[in-house]
Amino acid sequence: MSQASLQVEHLTLRRNGVAVLDDVSLHLPAGQTLALIGESGAGKSTLAYAAMGLVRPPEVQLQGRLMVGDVDVVTAPERVLRPLRGVRMGMIFQDASAALNPCFSVLSHLSEPLQRHRGLSKAACKARAIELLASVGIADPVSRLQAYPHELSGGMQQRVMIAMALACEPQLLIADEPTSALDVTIQAQIMALLLDRVRALGASAIFVLHDLALATQVADRVAVMYAGQIVEEGPAAEVLNHPRHPYTQGLRASAIEFDAERLQPIAGVVPPLSAMPGGCRFAPRCALASARCSAEKPELAAHDTVRVACWNL
Amino acid sequence: MLADSNIRASGPSPWQRLTRHLMRSWQLLRRQQKAMAGMGIVLAFVVAAVFAPVLAPYPPTEQNFMDAMQGPSAQHWMGTDSFGQDILSRVFYGARSALWIGFASVALGLVVGVAVGLLAGLRGGRTEWVLMRVVDGLLAFPELIMAMAFMAVLGLGMNNVILALALSFVGPFARTVRADVLQVKARPFIEAARLMGVPEREIVRRHVLPNIASPILIQAGMRISIAILLASGLSFLGLGVVPPTPDWGLMIAEGRGFVSMAPWMAGMPGLALATLLIGLNLMAEGLRDALDPKTRGDKP
Amino acid sequence: MVYPSLAMGAHRLWRPLGAIAQTALVLLVVSGISFMFLKLSPGDPVAIMLGSDFSRDSYDLLYRQLGLDQPWFQQYVQWLSRFVRGDWGMSYVSKQDIFEQSVLQALPVTLTLAALSLAVALLVGIPLGVLAAVRRNSWMDLLASAVAIGGNAIPSFYLGVVLIWIFSVAFGWFPSMGYVSPWSEPLTGLWHLALPALTLGAWYVGLIATVTRSSLLEVLEQPYMAAARARGEPSWRVIWVHGMRNVLMPLITIIGLQLGGMLRGAVMTEVVFTLPGLGMMITSAVQTREYLVVQAGIMITALLFIAVNFTVDRTYSLLDPRLRKNAR
Repeated sequence: MSQASLQVEHLTLRRNGVAVLDDVSLHLPAGQTLALIGESGAGKSTLAYAAMGLVRPPEVQLQGRLMVGDVDVVTAPERVLRPLRGVRMGMIFQDASAALNPCFSVLSHLSEPLQRHRGLSKAACKARAIELLASVGIADPVSRLQAYPHELSGGMQQRVMIAMALACEPQLLIADEPTSALDVTIQAQIMALLLDRVRALGASAIFVLHDLALATQVADRVAVMYAGQIVEEGPAAEVLNHPRHPYTQGLRASAIEFDAERLQPIAGVVPPLSAMPGGCRFAPRCALASARCSAEKPELAAHDTVRVACWNL
Repeated sequence: MLADSNIRASGPSPWQRLTRHLMRSWQLLRRQQKAMAGMGIVLAFVVAAVFAPVLAPYPPTEQNFMDAMQGPSAQHWMGTDSFGQDILSRVFYGARSALWIGFASVALGLVVGVAVGLLAGLRGGRTEWVLMRVVDGLLAFPELIMAMAFMAVLGLGMNNVILALALSFVGPFARTVRADVLQVKARPFIEAARLMGVPEREIVRRHVLPNIASPILIQAGMRISIAILLASGLSFLGLGVVPPTPDWGLMIAEGRGFVSMAPWMAGMPGLALATLLIGLNLMAEGLRDALDPKTRGDKP
Repeated sequence: MVYPSLAMGAHRLWRPLGAIAQTALVLLVVSGISFMFLKLSPGDPVAIMLGSDFSRDSYDLLYRQLGLDQPWFQQYVQWLSRFVRGDWGMSYVSKQDIFEQSVLQALPVTLTLAALSLAVALLVGIPLGVLAAVRRNSWMDLLASAVAIGGNAIPSFYLGVVLIWIFSVAFGWFPSMGYVSPWSEPLTGLWHLALPALTLGAWYVGLIATVTRSSLLEVLEQPYMAAARARGEPSWRVIWVHGMRNVLMPLITIIGLQLGGMLRGAVMTEVVFTLPGLGMMITSAVQTREYLVVQAGIMITALLFIAVNFTVDRTYSLLDPRLRKNAR
């Protein structure tokens, strides 16, 4: 089973003149999982969509390179990208109830990628669909084939979506907050299922998350994003247990611990994209900010196995 | 102790709030280009209608067979018809009958329709069910056909057209009013007023009516263009206004027979009719856009 | 509950029954209104039927024969029972059985015209709406809006005359009147129906384009559209298969709702182009004071309207799986 790696080099994405992603670089070796964490609006989902080639000119302007395997998504034309979607890279959306077309049955949904990319016959599609549903833990898959999305529970809908994304065995799976819309009790189940399937395929995966604890459990590597930039990136254990960037430290501290005595939020708010400060974007909220921080933008520099963008290390 | 609790809530009465709401809507409207353009067109026609005797170069029914069937020229800007009557003057006077019929029929239909809708919406229960089935029955007949049937019973002429159209509008108005009343009835402040012992009649007067006033007015506004369309249609079919009253529908019907020789006979009044209708529609759309919270653009 | 399944089954039966009961009542009201119309129309039917010279006795005889001496309610019941049997009376002008004339001859013409016009409107309106939605705020969007407003505002009878002037008088491409059934002679029939269908269709085109555009704009925002693209579906399929499926419902709603407008336009179009349909029939009947024919006409249109609305309601559940009542 071949694997795809993700290599992002100096990717800048502008929408209406505003840089939603600013000089983002990261590398995910094949077969590993990456957790993208950060606040809403940090650009995590945008990066995920960009990796699928779903945000393209003319709505946005792209600069830099985004390699999925050997294809550069930034420059590749649509006719090269389209056959890859669903086959080389697959995506799982946050709200499964909205990501499934209410007019089509489960079988129609599953048959679509199978017919398009694998050219299977109707009977073969049906058989494969049953297999897929079983593999995502749906009991009695045959009875579910004719069901419509609104007839399924949230967890079931998400399982169907996972089955669809994995139908053609992609080498890179991108999951955009796959469990945020689900009940807490089901979240763990679905995450475990997702991880299990990914490992079984030997695929690489990117999980967009905002839950730090979850990130520790599922990811090999973690990248922390703030205001469209990557501020810290490295092996999960290192980044999350020994955070170096003030923002990551703040995130860790503000995560609500079960036995914590007080809430410890990070002071201030994320500046609007159109009015980003020059220099380090986190400087206005950082306790360690110096004159240099406000003037010069810190580059990602290696500290042991981790890359951090901060002048104060 | 609630001894001196004043049941009337302090602050502006619903009628005052309605006025303020209307003023605000007017300001919003001004920013809407569509509505303004429409309003301009409609205003032009109203002026033409009101000042027809002054603006029209010739009396509308003055026949002059020497000048019959002449194309647009310096003396007759829109040409003449088969009787030698000046078309421009007739178009001006036609605006009169069109606008008058439009307003009168809508106003009449509004009064009856609102009464029925209020009754149905407020009473609820069996009264409502029966009334609404009757309204459904009324609505099953397309408006034009119903108007035609009424004209068959009543006879021709402008007043009968107004009556016939008004009757055809009772159904649509009743249905809309009832829906609006139901919406307002469901709001918590009605329940609160009832619990405080406010008599039903006052609830209707102070709370229900002002809240349904603006959607009804909008509906009425939109109906006017339909009324004018139907009136012209009836006249065109020979079932409406009687000649020699200048009426656009009549003029188009007359002009139809001469379309190869004198296309302006039907063309001019038709253009006037189409323009007025477009103006009214633009206004209605602009009004709707202005009052719709989504397209409003004001800060929440 | 002793027999829960029975109770549930009965409940499931009630739903469509409720709709049928409502429809039946509306039909009753409609028939009542038609009957009232007949009763209120001026003129003495007995005198008309007897012609110019008649005696007092023959008048009384015919009066009793027609049942006019009975109370109104009884007359209504008699009329209704005759009506549902298809005995609608005779037309004095055309000397034909009214049922034959209206249902068998005039109605098919109107239906054919309406169907053709709807087809034209859909063929032009839907692509226009899709284009406007996909290329939002471009010149195509503006064009679609202009067509929508224009088509809606310009009255059918005026448009018909204009089209006759342009295509019949000036260019001579199409005939300006007359009807040939396309079911028996397709080419000639369609040639005669071309201008009328265009006239009637124009009114609908604007409506369809507008609804398509606004629904599609909403649908385009939905995650399942992005999800379909993420699975590698080509853009055209995403729009036409995934998107349009969800646009069908509001579209059909609006088509059903605007049926009244379509019938109105049909009346005028038929008169302009001299097509022997229902509209023409009713118009001349009113002019010649043939109230029985008028009554037949209004009953047919009302029944048509109710039938279409009923059908449209039923198709909702077909289109949107969320509306299907299943025993989950």
